[in-house]
Parts: sequence; structure tokens; C-alpha cells
Amino acid sequence: MSSLKRSLDSDPFAANISSKIYVRSTKSGKVQKIVREVYLRQDIPCSSRLCRICLKTAPKDAAGRPVPFVLSDAPAGTSTFPQGHYLVPDTNAFLSAMDLFEQSSAFYDVVVLQIVLEELRNRSLPLYNRLISLTKSEDKRFYVFFNEFRLETHVARRDGESVNDRNDRAVRRAVAWYGEHLARSGANKVPAVVMLTNDRDNLRKAKQEGIHACSLADYVRQLKDSERLLDMIPEMEDREDVKEKRPGENLYPEYFTMSRMMTGVKNGLLHQGIFNVSPYNYLEGSIRVPAFPKALLILGRENINRAIDGDLVVVEVLPKDQWKEPSTQVIEEDAITKNENPDAEETEDFVSEKERKALQEEVKRTHSKTTEGHAQPTAKVVGVVKRNWRQYVGHIDQSSVSQSAQQGRKQDTVFVIPMDKKIPKIRLRTRQVAELVGKRILVTIDAWERSSRHPVGHFVRSLGELETKAAETEALLLEYDVQYRPFPKTVLDCLPKEGHDWRVPQSKDDPGWRDREDLRDLLICSIDPIGCQDIDDALHSRPLPNGNFEVGVHIADVSHFVRPNNAMDAEASIRGTTVYLVDKRIDMLPMLLGTDLCSLKPYVERYAFSVIWELSPDADIVNVRFTKSVIKSREAFSYEQAQLRIDDDSQQDDLTKSIRTLLVLSKKLKQKRLDAGALSLSSPEVKVQMESETSDPIDVKTKELLDTMSLVEEFMLLANSSVARKIYEAFPQTAILRRHGAPPKTNFDELANQLKVKRGLDLSVESSRALADSLDKCVDPKEPFFNTLVRIMATRCMMAAEYFCSGTQAYPEFRHYGLASEIYTHFTSPIRRYADLVAHRQLAAAIEYEAVDPSVRSRGRLEAVCKNINVRHRNAQLAGRASIAYYVGQAIRGKATEADGFVMKIFSNGFVVLVPRFGIESLIRLRDLAEPEPQATYDAETYTLTTSGSREVTVELFQKVRVRVSDQKDETTGKRGVKMELVTVY
Amino acid sequence: MASAQHVLLSPAELAYLHSSLSLTPPIRPDGRTPTQFRPLVAETGILPGTNGSARICFADGTEAIVGVKAEVEKTRSRHDDETVFVEGAGDDGEEEETDDITRTGESDWIELTVEIPGLRDDDSATAFLAAMLSEALLADGGLVKRLWINRRFHWKLYLDIILISPPLSYPLPLLSLTTHLALLSTRLPRLKSEGDEDPFFDDDWAAAPYLYPRQQTATPTAKSAPRSPATRPPITLLVMAVANNILFDPSKEELAVADAALAVSVTSSTRSDENDDGDGDDSMDVKEKKGRNLRLLSIRTVDPPSRLTPPGVANSSNAAYGVAGNGNGKATEGRTAVAEGEAVVEGVWRAPRGGAKRAVMAALVQKALERGGVVDEVFDALEGVELG
Repeated sequence: MSSLKRSLDSDPFAANISSKIYVRSTKSGKVQKIVREVYLRQDIPCSSRLCRICLKTAPKDAAGRPVPFVLSDAPAGTSTFPQGHYLVPDTNAFLSAMDLFEQSSAFYDVVVLQIVLEELRNRSLPLYNRLISLTKSEDKRFYVFFNEFRLETHVARRDGESVNDRNDRAVRRAVAWYGEHLARSGANKVPAVVMLTNDRDNLRKAKQEGIHACSLADYVRQLKDSERLLDMIPEMEDREDVKEKRPGENLYPEYFTMSRMMTGVKNGLLHQGIFNVSPYNYLEGSIRVPAFPKALLILGRENINRAIDGDLVVVEVLPKDQWKEPSTQVIEEDAITKNENPDAEETEDFVSEKERKALQEEVKRTHSKTTEGHAQPTAKVVGVVKRNWRQYVGHIDQSSVSQSAQQGRKQDTVFVIPMDKKIPKIRLRTRQVAELVGKRILVTIDAWERSSRHPVGHFVRSLGELETKAAETEALLLEYDVQYRPFPKTVLDCLPKEGHDWRVPQSKDDPGWRDREDLRDLLICSIDPIGCQDIDDALHSRPLPNGNFEVGVHIADVSHFVRPNNAMDAEASIRGTTVYLVDKRIDMLPMLLGTDLCSLKPYVERYAFSVIWELSPDADIVNVRFTKSVIKSREAFSYEQAQLRIDDDSQQDDLTKSIRTLLVLSKKLKQKRLDAGALSLSSPEVKVQMESETSDPIDVKTKELLDTMSLVEEFMLLANSSVARKIYEAFPQTAILRRHGAPPKTNFDELANQLKVKRGLDLSVESSRALADSLDKCVDPKEPFFNTLVRIMATRCMMAAEYFCSGTQAYPEFRHYGLASEIYTHFTSPIRRYADLVAHRQLAAAIEYEAVDPSVRSRGRLEAVCKNINVRHRNAQLAGRASIAYYVGQAIRGKATEADGFVMKIFSNGFVVLVPRFGIESLIRLRDLAEPEPQATYDAETYTLTTSGSREVTVELFQKVRVRVSDQKDETTGKRGVKMELVTVY
Repeated sequence: MASAQHVLLSPAELAYLHSSLSLTPPIRPDGRTPTQFRPLVAETGILPGTNGSARICFADGTEAIVGVKAEVEKTRSRHDDETVFVEGAGDDGEEEETDDITRTGESDWIELTVEIPGLRDDDSATAFLAAMLSEALLADGGLVKRLWINRRFHWKLYLDIILISPPLSYPLPLLSLTTHLALLSTRLPRLKSEGDEDPFFDDDWAAAPYLYPRQQTATPTAKSAPRSPATRPPITLLVMAVANNILFDPSKEELAVADAALAVSVTSSTRSDENDDGDGDDSMDVKEKKGRNLRLLSIRTVDPPSRLTPPGVANSSNAAYGVAGNGNGKATEGRTAVAEGEAVVEGVWRAPRGGAKRAVMAALVQKALERGGVVDEVFDALEGVELG
């Protein structure tokens, strides 16, 4: 017998064909061998402007012009490469130091190899997206070179070679080719092509092969402000060093393998969910999983096992004897771990003495309890499916800075305390301690090894001095992931060319007038807060001959200016919403549109999208129609002005009369809504008054409620639900709607119990109607604010309302619980909310004004949009609140005032007081009460905290107290915050 | 079963052929020794999309391609073990022990289809071929055992066997050898998960292990401990007997005068314990001190074309019409091929009657399984085919 293997030499095209073989596992559990043929070519350009060779074969666009080359013909030089250089980073360089590449001071002319890009995409999608946006930016000159498809740079895997080694070799091959290729280009100064890698082995091989290569640190040292840049190289211990560590020193349990977790989750033995940290106790987390109605508790460092707030984790339920009650104690990380030494941490016990003590207290309390039933199921984290790490704003813990580091320039390890209390301290190595102390800084977490007590991160940039307005505002925006950069040129290009001179066309033959109704003769006015520039909505009403009323709500026609799928639309869909801070507004749409062309300013003609009802005198809808229109607002009132005008009987003009009609109708509408079970919820709202010149806060006022506010609100609600019905009818699968889920009853357990115990009040939560009624009954004749307090607390038990695409839910799930509306959407603020813009497009298609754009019809895309704007919406709210809190703190700075407050939450070692006057809540700890810290007994049954010893007070839930509000700068952390001191208990 | 079509040889030619093959030593038309195989051309890895594939081309022009594809399949759980699988997936040694015991496979983990050009796929010849091939593969349960992933999952193997030339001679040995080669070159993705988890595989194809691991050749360290060759998939060979001669790899012409034709399935295994738990016919096992442990899996008789009544024979003298129906159980008696009661005319071909002789059968088994024997040689040759 003889055997024969056909050789490939006989195939004339063999050199041009290669293949890539890998195994693909599909979600359904199929495992496939995939073979991809790779056709190698020689016309992929190097894209260097020096190169004359590639120009001949470079791909051309439709007009026959070659695509312009990216890499500069005179790239910057460094001390080692004075002739100039192009960079070729490997995957790890991007993975570990993407921040470096985004610097504007260095890192230009970078060749991103296809293989690196692909690997990066597999490893980290966010980093991949950042790199993609870098390659798109014109000034950074990043070029994606498809090395796998170019004949000369394609590398076939050798026998026994690992994928990584092969990829490293491919990178080296590409670097070598670039070098040879540029040398042949005939330029008189040929730039060096430098590979960037932190892999020692790769560096060694590069040296052997005679190509330029640097480690990141070595390269950065050649640059100008290397000190600053060096900090951005994450603390990556060399591979060898990691191995030396004995496994015995690992502090945390190892994570399960992915397949084990997935099997467990499928079998229902493990549970997957988003990990949340309690804002009062950094050692307590909770996770909501579909399998149980109540959240699972995760207690203690070991059980939390390196999960960070927001991570998608898998947990295992602990045996029943380890079930615990949620802590009634406040445990703050900076207080307990204050004196840790960031350098010598491994020698310490894993769970520090103090942490242990805090836990002991817990146990004591649980044991003293007779009611075992209160214990809640606990769980431990066994693995992380997806990290949700972002960049965190924080400041350096002053106490962790060693004395020597204050002066020297050597690398030092410090702790960064993130602004968000739910994020653990981050260990950071930096050379610029002295400069960074007292600054707001941005850091990222790189890793959290099993052997490290705290996550390790690296410095990204400094935002400025603590407590300066610029730094704090930017910190806030970063923390809530608000896109605050100016609009890029591509977006501004989408604006009308006329700019501010744009007018509604005179001639009705203009295409802009097509299918538009001329409503310029209607007496339309707008009512908004003082100083409002982006006027979304305007109203009118007039009596009809049959005794009914015609009421119109006119909304800025933003969809006329923002066409689907252009750059402006994409940017708006990413921003999702306009963010209002106390002194700043971060727009969703460029100023020109938001405050001028779209804004329904008075006395000028504007395009609008109108909802026009015929309402009976009892405010029942007789009919409704929707139309695009042209309007001319007669007046832009503020709430106060409108209120004055209504109240002033001498005003009898048609405009005032129509506002009065609207007011009467709105009250009827409101009553109907309340009868249907709409909730009137509450949150403490205040307004910061600013000095007009310096915009320094001077005073804090609680918001006044005027009839005119609810006038506008009622008609907006009416418009929203009318539109929702219309677009749902037209697009049953893809209408963008807003729902508010009924909260699970267990959410109210705590509050209902508290009300029962303290006030003997019943809270019934069967339906929104029952809840509304029982909330109405929660009154304390002596204390008018009590009702509001309960409403505030009830609001916190609710679910968040959310946008969704109608095909993803069954019709009964559309319900808006808070508004007691069957179906609801957002339509009335397209200038500041993207959802409204989508609703506009859908409504326009529904009334056949324009053709349906595919983007508002694709369910997948709409779901993605909804998901994003839900997050953005929430972040915008949080950012707004945080901004108010900051300014409230600034307003009372240096002015200690006494105010009344209410106890909202009570712990065994402190309590939370809400001060309605300032709309702030703050924790008063036992140790704040007196010096030395008084003894206290906490009765969890009656929610009473009784102190004895140095100060004797009894604090109960819902109690009215008098507190002194002042600002305080924490000496150790350098953080300024509102400080409350208990004056008396009423 | 009858194989292929008639050979266009006259009775005289057939008789001549028969008598020359009956000589000691026999003289074969192409000058081969009785155990010599015709040269063949073989290659593996010809279908990149499959887990394993092979092509073999015989000298007579017949050619076959086999592709093996594997798919992960959930094992049907039996009612008696309602075990929850995750708990013990960790590191307790007990688990490890039970693993080996529970490693069993089922015969429906292999699905085999044969395609012969010109024949319908439900043709009896095709079905019979498929049955014979899968019978050999499943006979000792060794192959399906390899498909076990964990207690909940297994690989399902799809073997597609295609004869791409017209069936010039009886294609069984060709298909079997090609299947053997394809299985040898079959690789399954490397398992990364452990225990009874949902299987999770390495996405690197280069790391995928062979279904039948290759011997480590030329590793100096391994030389000190003489390794017995690895277990190999079974092969089925065609053997024929003429008078007392046993001829391997008969050609089409030779088959036309065979007294008996047999399909012999043999496997080779490493572990000696496999011999002990065998099904009792120890006599068939020939244990080698060094080299393979060859095991006979099955012997099937195949109806050679010589058994068919040649055209032009009168019904009155046709055995199929019961003319020579004297005596029952002649097959068991093992008479000579030439029927009695009929005048034997020298130089005129008569279809043989009766089965193979017992002594011939014994010699055949002996010859097949002996060390350095034909089967050993075939395994060696197949091993020599470069995989890739």
C-alpha cells in the first residue's frame, strides 16, 4: 500500500488563498467548525502619505478619487526616533492603556492592525468602540491596516503555535513589512515603525528580528510630559511576578468557570442579576433575581467577592443558618478602613479587625432577636458575567499619602475614594501625588485580583481643584455619564444653512408647507418656568358654536429639522435627553434648534405638531385630530405671569379668557385622573437662586406649586396619552410607549409596617387607587408635612417608569401605574427628549404626513433606543439632583442655619433626617450627637433609638426634629458636605 | 448478498482462473501473493468543513470519500437517575472514579449513510452495506464510548460515505478503509468545561484533539516505556477462499470464481483488559507481545458473483431451481465447491455450491490476526497516511 498526499504546489492560486479555522459555539449549544477562506491581496495601501507605491493601487471612491491617506508624511519624533515614527500597538497596549491613546499631546500616526482590532473587539467592546472613534477622528491619524488580507503580512499559524504567539508574530510581521515598505518609498526621511507591547517575549523576539519595539513605559518616557502620561499606564505586574505569588495568599474565593455558572443558572441553582450596593453600608449588597420576589442580600467582603456596583454577577444562595437581616447599621468605608496603608496591604488580615467588629454587632443583634422570621435569604457571588466598570471620579485619600511622597517624584501608592459611595476604594499608583492631592480626579479600575484587597486602577486625568465649580460640575457629568462635549462638526453640518435667519417660508407653495395647517390666526400662548428658552409646547382654546371647546396643544416640530439617521439624529439618540443642572444645561440638540428654530417663541411663526381636541364642557374628549401646522405664539408666559393674569379680573381679553377656559378644563381632567387612581407623589424639590452676575448660589427656595403648572401638565398628559393611542393603533408592534409597572407589594412592606407601628395607619397597596386613597388618609393634623413625607417615602418604593417598544409587552403591561393611564407615551418635549422625537416621527407616519422611516419601524433598533434613553433619562435625573445638592451645600456654606426636619430612616447607630426647607437629607450618626459617643439601644420593632450616657434623646421614625444645618469639610477626605446636628427633638 | 455485476468471462476462462487460484501457491492474475494488497491512493483532510474526512482510490478505479461531522447532543436522561448535576462538579475524587464507570455510549450516537452512484439510497445493497459498516463500528462499543462528553451530553457523529466511482467491484473494503481513515483524522473541539456542566469548548481548532489519539512517535522520552499502539477504529476486509487458498483483497475477476467470500471486521486496541471483558471467544483473540492486540469483531459471508448462475444454464441443471436439492445443510457440512451428482468437466466453469470449509475459516482468522499478518500490515499502512 502506498499513500499520497496531494500537494498544494500544483494549485497556481495557492499563494493567494489561505484559510482560518476556528470553533464556534452557538447560543443554542451547537458547536461548529468554521472554515473561512482568506483571499490575499496586494492592493491594501499602507496609507502613509510618504508612500508613492500604494497610491497606484489604492482603492478609489465612486468619483474615481483615491481615498486620502491617513498617516502623516512628517510624523513626530521622540528622543529615540528623531526621524519620526509610526506606532503599531498590540492588543494589550490598547486593552491596558486606551486612555493614553486618547491623549492630545502624543500618540499620533498609529497603525491599528486588523488583528489587533478584532482581538480587542472580542476582549472588550467599550474599548473597541473607543478605538473605532479614534480611527474616525481626523486629527489623531489612526489607520486600520488589514494585515490579514495583505499577502505580505498574512501569517499562517505554525504547528504547535498558540493563537497568541501567532498573533504576536503577525504584528511583528506587519511592523517589519511597514519598515521595508516605507524604506522603498524613496522618501528622504523614513520614519521608524515602532511596535508597542508590554509582552517581554514579544519584545525579545522583535529585537532578534531587528524591528523597533518598545514597552509602553519605555515609549512614554521618550515623550515630553512623560510624568503625567506614565500614570496612565496601568499597574500591570509582569507575568512572571504574578506567578510567584502563592495561591495561599489569595484573599477572595475563585470565580466559577463561565460554563459552570451558565449551567447553574439554567438549572436554577445559581442566579444571575445586577449587583447593587446599599448606599448606607458598603459591605452590604443586594441582587434582584427573577426567581425570587425579594432581593437577595449579599453581606461581607468575602461574599461580595470583588463585585462592584452595577456588575452582572452570578450568586449562590447560602444555607439557611447564614441568613441575616439587612443591616440596621451605617457602615461607611472611609470611616472603617481609614488608616489602611495602601502599600503594605497584603500583610493585613483580609477582613480587618474593625470590619469584624462591625459584623459582631450584627450577630449580637440578630441573636437577641426572638423573631427569626425576619432573617432574609443571603447569597454569595460566585462569578461575574460582565463587569460594568467605567471611569470613576474621586479624590485621593489624604491619609493614605505617605510623607515622603508629598515631595518626591517617585511612584507612590495611594487610595482614591470615589465620589460614588457604592464604589470601593481604588488603589492607585502615581508619581504625581503632590499635585493630585486635593483635586478631583478621574480614574479607571484595571483589575481586581484575588490576592488584592482593593481594586487596582490608574489615573486618567485631573478635573481640577476640589470644590471649584468647573471641577465639580464636570465630575457630576462624568459620574452620570452625561455627554457634555460640544457637538461635533458632522452634527452641526445637519443644521439648516440659514442659521438664525431661518424663517417659515412665506409662500405656501414651499415644500415646507406641504400638508401643514395654517394655525397662525389662533390665539396660542406658551406657559413655562421663568427663563425657559427651549419652549416645547404651546396651548390654545376657543369655544365652539355647539357649546364644546376646541383645545389645541402645539408641540415644536423637531422632527422637521432632525431627519432620521443623520449625524444629528445619531448624536441625539445617544444623548437621549437634555440634562438640567442648576447653572447649566447640557442640550440634546444643538442650541440653534433647541432655543431658536424649534422653540415656540412668541411673536414669530414656527412649525409645530398640533394635537387638537374637541372637549365637552365636562372635559370629555369628543374627538381628536393630529396635524402638522404653522403657528404664531402670541405670548410666552411664565407660570407666575400666567397665574397673575388669570387672577386679575380686569384682564378680559380673548387670550386671558382662553387660558381661564384651559384652567377650568384642566381641573376637570385632573379630577378624572385622580378618580381613576392616579397617584400624586412627591419628591423634595427645591430651587437654588443664583446671583445673576456670578451665578453663585445665594439662596434655596422650595418650589411653589401654582395652578398654571398643573394646567400645562394636564394638557400634556392628555396629549401624550392621545398620541400613544394613535401610534399604537398605527404601529401595534413598534410604537414607542412609556409604562410604569405596578410595584410589587413587597416593596411597601417596610413602609406599611412603619406606618402601622408608628401611627396606626394602614397602607393598602392593592391598586394605585387604593394606594392613592390610603396616602390621602396618611395625615397628621398637627404636622402638614407628614403627608408629603409619606408620599416621598412611598415614591421611593415605586418602580421606575420606562420607555419600551409596544411589541415587547402585552397590552395590560402598558399601564402607567402612577398616572393611572392605560397607555402613555412622551410626545410633548421633543427638544429635550429623544423618545418624543421618535413618537413625533411615528405620529407623522401614522397620519400619513410622511413615509415611515425604517428606523422607527425596526423593533430591534427601537428596543436599543429605549434601553439607552431609559438609562440616560435616569442619569439625567440623578445628575440634576446631585447638582442641586451640591449647590444647596454651597448656598449654606458658612451660614449655619437651624431648620426643621423629619426622621426618614433609622439605624442602630444613626438616623437620616430630611430637611424640606433645603430638600436635603443627611445622616446623623450617634458619634455626631455628643462627645464621647453616647450609648444607644435600638428597638427595631418600634423604630426607636434611645441614647443614654453623654446625651439622652429618643429618636423615632417620622419624628419632627430641629437640626442645625451647616457645611463641613471632612479633614481626612477633603470632601465638603452638608452636616446636620441635632438641636432638639420635638 | 450479491455484489456488483457479472464479469464478462467465458466459462472456460472462469475455470482457468479458478484452477490457477486453487494451486499452491495460487497464481493470481495480477501476480500478487495471496496476502498482497493492490496499491491504493489515500489522503485525509480533503473536506475542510468536516471534523474529519478521507479519500481512498483503489487501483481498479473505485474511489470513495468519507466525511465525519460531529454535533453536541443532549443525552436522553434515564428516569432512574434524577441527579442534579452541578453540585459535585468540583474536585471531589469520588466523582472522578464514577466518571469512568459511567462512560458508556449508545449506538444511536452514530449515524451512517452510504451513497452508491446509480443506486437508490433505500436500495437493499446500499442498506446492507451501511448495516455492515455500522455493525463493525459499533461492535465493541469502543467508538461510542469516545463520544461521551459528560453525563448529560455526548457527541453525535454523522458519517457520510460516498462512493464516487461506479461500483466496479464489491465496495465494502474500500468504504471501510476510507471510513477508518476519516475517523482517524477526526478531531473534536477541546472541552473546557468540567464535570456535568453544559459543555463549553475551546474555540481554537488547532487545539482540538483527535478522536483516536495518535501515537507519540519519535519522542525520545517515551521510548523507554514501550507503548502499545493506540486503539484504532475497526476495519472490514474482504477475503475470499478458493479451494484451500485464502486470498486477500480479491479483484473483481477473482471474486467471480470465489468458493466463498467473507467480510472480516477487525479492530485493534491497546488495553489488554479489553481482551478479558471480551465476549468469550478468546480463541479469536491473538495477543501480541509487542504491537497490536487485534480482535476479530465479526465475519460475514458475502455472496460472490460466482454464486450466481451464469447466463445460459438450463433450468433443469440450475441449482436455484432445486435440481441438486439432495441433502440438507450442505453449507454446514462444508463440502467441496463442486456439486456432486453433476459431471465435472475439466475446463468448464460450474458455479460452486456450499459454504466455506471450517478449516479454511480457521486458517483465515489465523492469517488475519497473526502478528505481522495481513491486518497488522493494513493497520500499519493506514497509520502511515499523513493526517491533515
